[in-house]
Amino acid sequence: MRNIIFSFLALLLLPAYMSGQVIKGKVVDKEGLGIPGAIIIATESKTSADTDFDGNFNINAKIGEVLKISMLGFEAISITAADGVMNITLSDSKDTELKEVIIIGYGSRKKIDNTSAITSLRAEEVSKMKVLNASQAIQGKAAGVQVISSDLPGAAPSVIIRGLGTALGGRTPLYIVDGMPTENINNINTNDITAYEILKDASSLAIYGTRAANGVIIITTKQGRGNKIAVEIETFAGFRAPLRTVKMAGSNKYSHYSNAALQTTTFSQDQPVNTDWFDAITRTGTYAQNNISVSGSSETVKYFFSVGNYEEKAVLNGLDFSRTTFRTNNEFKISKKLTVSQNLSFGSSNSTPKPLDAFTNAYKQSPIIPVRFPNGEYGVPFVGGDGFAGVAGSSFNNVGNPVAQLDYFNEQQRSITLQGGLKLDYDILDSLKFTSQFNGEYYSWKNYNFEDSKRIFETNNNPGRLSSIVYPADRNINVLTKGRNQYFNWNLSNYLTYNKVFASVHDIEITAGTETSVRGPREELRVVRRNVNENSNYWSLAGVDYGATVLNFNDAVFNESRLLSYFGRFQYKLMDKYLVTGTLRRDGSSNFGKDFRWGTFPALGLGWIITKENFMADVKSVNLLKLRGSWGKLGNQNVPLNNQAYSVAGLTSYLGGSILLDGTTVNSQIDPSLSWEVTEEASIGLDFELLNSRLKGSFDVYDKTTNNVILNTRPLITSGISSASPAHVGEVSNRGYEAALRWDDQINDNLSYWVGGNFSSNKNELTGLINATLAPVIGGDLANGQFTKILDNTSVGQPLGSFFMYEYAGFDPSTGEKLYLNAAGNAVTQDVLNANTDKKYVGSILPTSNYGVTLGVIYKNIDFSVDGYGTAGAKVYNGKKAQRFTGENVEDSLATNFWTANNTTAANPAPFNQVPVASTFYLESGDFFRVNNISLGYKIPLEGMFINACRIYVNAINPFITQRFSGFSPELNGDGNPYGSQGIELNAYPALRSIVVGANLKF
Amino acid sequence: MKKIYLSIVVLSIVFFSGCSDEFLDVDQTESISTQDVELFNNDAGAATFVTAIYSKFLDFNMSSFSWNGVSSIASDDADKGSSPGDTGSDKDVMDALTYNPSSLSITEIFSANYEGINRCNQALNVIPQLDKADATLRARLMGEAKFLRAFMYFTLVKTYGGVPIIDRLPNPSSQEDRVMQLTRKSKEEVYAFIEKDLNDAIEVLFEKSQYSSSERGRASKGAAYALLAKVNLYQKNWQKVVDNCNLVTGYSIVPDYASMFRLAGENGPESIFEIQGVGSIPIKGIQNYSVSQGARGAGGWGWGFNTPSESLLNAYEVGDVRKNATIIFAGTTLYDGRVVPTTVENPRYNYKAYSSAIPDADQSDTNIRYLRYAEVLLMKAEALNELNQTSVAIPLLNQIRLRAGLGNTTAVSQADVRIAIWKERRVELAFEHDRFFDVVRTGQAVAAFAIHGKTFVAGKHEVFPLPQLFINETAGLSSQNPGY
Repeated sequence: MRNIIFSFLALLLLPAYMSGQVIKGKVVDKEGLGIPGAIIIATESKTSADTDFDGNFNINAKIGEVLKISMLGFEAISITAADGVMNITLSDSKDTELKEVIIIGYGSRKKIDNTSAITSLRAEEVSKMKVLNASQAIQGKAAGVQVISSDLPGAAPSVIIRGLGTALGGRTPLYIVDGMPTENINNINTNDITAYEILKDASSLAIYGTRAANGVIIITTKQGRGNKIAVEIETFAGFRAPLRTVKMAGSNKYSHYSNAALQTTTFSQDQPVNTDWFDAITRTGTYAQNNISVSGSSETVKYFFSVGNYEEKAVLNGLDFSRTTFRTNNEFKISKKLTVSQNLSFGSSNSTPKPLDAFTNAYKQSPIIPVRFPNGEYGVPFVGGDGFAGVAGSSFNNVGNPVAQLDYFNEQQRSITLQGGLKLDYDILDSLKFTSQFNGEYYSWKNYNFEDSKRIFETNNNPGRLSSIVYPADRNINVLTKGRNQYFNWNLSNYLTYNKVFASVHDIEITAGTETSVRGPREELRVVRRNVNENSNYWSLAGVDYGATVLNFNDAVFNESRLLSYFGRFQYKLMDKYLVTGTLRRDGSSNFGKDFRWGTFPALGLGWIITKENFMADVKSVNLLKLRGSWGKLGNQNVPLNNQAYSVAGLTSYLGGSILLDGTTVNSQIDPSLSWEVTEEASIGLDFELLNSRLKGSFDVYDKTTNNVILNTRPLITSGISSASPAHVGEVSNRGYEAALRWDDQINDNLSYWVGGNFSSNKNELTGLINATLAPVIGGDLANGQFTKILDNTSVGQPLGSFFMYEYAGFDPSTGEKLYLNAAGNAVTQDVLNANTDKKYVGSILPTSNYGVTLGVIYKNIDFSVDGYGTAGAKVYNGKKAQRFTGENVEDSLATNFWTANNTTAANPAPFNQVPVASTFYLESGDFFRVNNISLGYKIPLEGMFINACRIYVNAINPFITQRFSGFSPELNGDGNPYGSQGIELNAYPALRSIVVGANLKF
Repeated sequence: MKKIYLSIVVLSIVFFSGCSDEFLDVDQTESISTQDVELFNNDAGAATFVTAIYSKFLDFNMSSFSWNGVSSIASDDADKGSSPGDTGSDKDVMDALTYNPSSLSITEIFSANYEGINRCNQALNVIPQLDKADATLRARLMGEAKFLRAFMYFTLVKTYGGVPIIDRLPNPSSQEDRVMQLTRKSKEEVYAFIEKDLNDAIEVLFEKSQYSSSERGRASKGAAYALLAKVNLYQKNWQKVVDNCNLVTGYSIVPDYASMFRLAGENGPESIFEIQGVGSIPIKGIQNYSVSQGARGAGGWGWGFNTPSESLLNAYEVGDVRKNATIIFAGTTLYDGRVVPTTVENPRYNYKAYSSAIPDADQSDTNIRYLRYAEVLLMKAEALNELNQTSVAIPLLNQIRLRAGLGNTTAVSQADVRIAIWKERRVELAFEHDRFFDVVRTGQAVAAFAIHGKTFVAGKHEVFPLPQLFINETAGLSSQNPGY
């Protein structure tokens, strides 16, 4: 077989052997590394050849003939063919745009030939920030990309690209890791990433069709290169502490305020204890990461192997997180035409989560309570006749002891993610390549949670060990929950790429293929057992039937989702200056009804490289000017399941005997015509490089409309259907612009520097609703009966994630009571407010703009850089402050300045005991600017030593912030849901400041 | 080699275009698709659709806190109770008759009953398709669904007046069905619909005695006749009341009134229709029904709502055993030995909702007694009295009084007997969700509420407002009740 193919190939290549002789050579870069894929053209012999993997080439040509050697990213040269092995060095192209190749869906493209808006970030930019998740590292680095991060270990940041287009599920961008579509990248070691491309506009996204509406982030992991083994070690360790804390009232101020609120003298004004609860539940966090990678290449193999370990002891007591990653990426050149690449990554994380409401409890708990009473028991809110906290007395608030809460909370989670893929590239012809890629992802998660019910009861109710208070014998002594989740997803794509230049001016590239994606069923097992052994190692004994102790048992297999796609892309370049890209994708999804499952998503991109025009030839100060425009349609299939199902859970009843009978009904209405959410986007962009390419920038304007947003509609009340039904009801618009500018200059061999920044502005609006009664999405739960957000048919004209609450109107100077504006415009107290008519839209959690800045200097072996990020226009709700109920602590600023009969013009209203209604009193500006990273590094000069390079560095992550918000952090990702806890500081993990010392060694 | 790859390409294209739609047909795994109706095509499967209707009566929004707000706290039999500062969402305004169309109790009772009606309509839609289930069983199950649908429409018409009649599964895209769902029918039309359902049900339902001991909670022929009699009573069709009461057979008055409201007395000889709560594992009871009415404060076990009013207390004659069977007094000892200390926050609580075994559990073993034979006798007495057969009515009334430890009534004239029967209904049926509707039906409301210290506005408070949510949806197809 092989012989036959070779003979066939030989026949094809026969004409090339018919004249001249074989000239041999090697093309290398300035570091002496072979350049694969360079093109050598013999001008007279009319022959051509490419360099192989190591830069070697053979070409039939005559000695003395001129050879033209060109390669993307290098300056093309002409050289006279010589006898013997020619050694040809190419220098880097000065045209920086030319040098860059960016990854686009199912292929790559020279940046200059690209017609779309793609932000491409390189490894150094992503790995410079010493954070766990790569998405957090890109914050502020890409225009049009908003990242809401959280310093909670293991938390995935929310990434919003060019505005939020939908309100239900499927808000996150699609991640493509080495060709595998995946939902998050928590398992990817930032150090393994070589490129991070953010696809922003319809022209670039349309190739991903149905999953592209929220943007796509393509992550490419490292490959081996060079001709010798390279070993790289990266290691760092650091400390973490809250960036900002809130000063709470001390014991005496607390007593003063609480007595005023209760109008009693319950609390002594001379307290012996003054507990700082925030201090009691936190510690100085530490974290460390170590990575080793081995990479290299030979004639036939490129290999990369890495192991990484991350360990964090978080600032919240007891919260630990660790992650171990392992990756191998290999590429085998099996024959001249066939390349097989393989990658495999293993990520394992372990964590001991702790409840974040400990932060809220620490905020609310009274400072007069000691962490532990003198008798050794945890302090609880009982006040005695002496006005001090004690082991007995009357309970004065419902807040637990946050230290006890953390100590008793006993949970462990472990997860393993395996991702792997196999890719074949086969050059059918010189200009035609076939690619087949298979990727799979396996995820498994398990946890246990142990609740020591009896001890918790005794701690909270009986710190004095009174014999009259007994834990009821029929209650559970303890409860153990164990969970197991797993899934397997796979993806197969096959495509052909045809690339040819006709008549040396028509450069055509066509890509066409098919893709199959299966999001496997999520399997979930959960068992809750009572009264397990006190020793955790005896929880699961062999041969024991635990049936009788099971309180709950859930075994669920969630629906599988499949996607079948055909795609094609046509890229055309005329005379190196006019660019056209046309994309078409057709997707079929199993999520929708038979007649509505197929969607077609077209896109068109145009580009004009103005600087290549003759009339620009004399304009020396402009190195690049490129105009881009694109239009396209994108889909979103991540909508709730649309199959009608029987309801069977909880519909049981006894009917007079001792047998619990099962019940069945139908409690949903479905819209069989439910199909894709379609987002239509048009955008125009300009890329430029000026003044010897020292000033580079781009500017983009876009208009994105999702015409048929799927929202949950509530069926008519008399239909008796209580579960909301997804239906196409809304129209969401995102309009905005984004600008990026960067100045790079090299003053001399020793000194170079850069300054850059980006700014994006987006206007998000729910622009319309089709005739439907929306089931109101009532969100922003404050867990005290108050809600702060709504999405219903009154929300048209508002941005998504809007706050909806009463408007605070100051307090009544005669009573100190808070007043709110009602619909008629009168200031009234909260008991006469009408929930239906008096609430208003008062801003959204979504910022209207965000920006990033970067600057850096490299002087000899020292490098220094600063990155910053900010947002404006968002509102945040101080949810923990809005909780206050009887006997809970308040902030110092409030306890020292509140209304009394003698101080009627105080800054704060009179103390109160009622749960306050959700109002603008607690709504604050979310604007902030934060220095995300300061990095100082030094490359130790190591000439001819065993170690090739060594850079030691100090990083300060989030060292400074300016914010208007009075709470811990205005960056509040919460549950990542704009109608959930996003933008509300309640049970929120604070933003951290970290100092890191590390070293990077290369052998 | 090359051929292999070309074949892969060709094959993959053929494969994907050939069976693409099949590939996209994915079986549901997280819930049972309505296309698999065959799974229910057997006796047990058919029964589950009706069990789900009974199960609706155990829901919080159907029978518990909001229902107490509407049927009890709003009446002159009960006060809000609980701590003064705890409104129970809206129980303070329910008590004061100052509720509005957005009050939670009013919204929940409306939607809960329509949720139940949907379950009836689902059962009535699917059971005829289940041809492998026994035909007699299917007919009876349909009868139960119709009885329960009638029961819920009766609740709706008493509470709100005329309401939309949903007699089938609405098609969400049908304009006609949309109008049906949004247009109020007259009170008379609703009553006619209820009577039709009950008459259909009577044809196929079993007598209570025909059910096995584990199914005594199902709707029976006797229950349908009793409910029909009550529906007739509300329409003052006196002769029909008598006729239907006479068809309620096989029941008797139990000697000990208090015993009926304890676990041992559930589904006894007097019981015609009860909602079933079971406290043994697996627990399935009426959500928060007992605990929401349990004594509150130190030594208590519940939220303390829906407490017997002064007006009710004064309605008991001396020696009436029903007083101590209906009211828990602070500082007394209950039948099971539980001491109710004087430290609880309210002086009186509802005894009929008390669960001895698990008083503080979310779901308890307490039943709601909706139809008892005692009420059948009182309805018959009232109707006979209206039909000028006062002398035949009096012995029926006395039968009830005797069991309560009282002597014969002193009333003789038709008018006095009428008042006596009404009063007897109050003390006999207190806290059985009847009083508010009964004072409205009998026209005693203005006077009764004056004694209770609340203002009942004639022409307004006879019915509750329709929920604002519903009014908003109708976009003019239905109008609000007068005065709201």
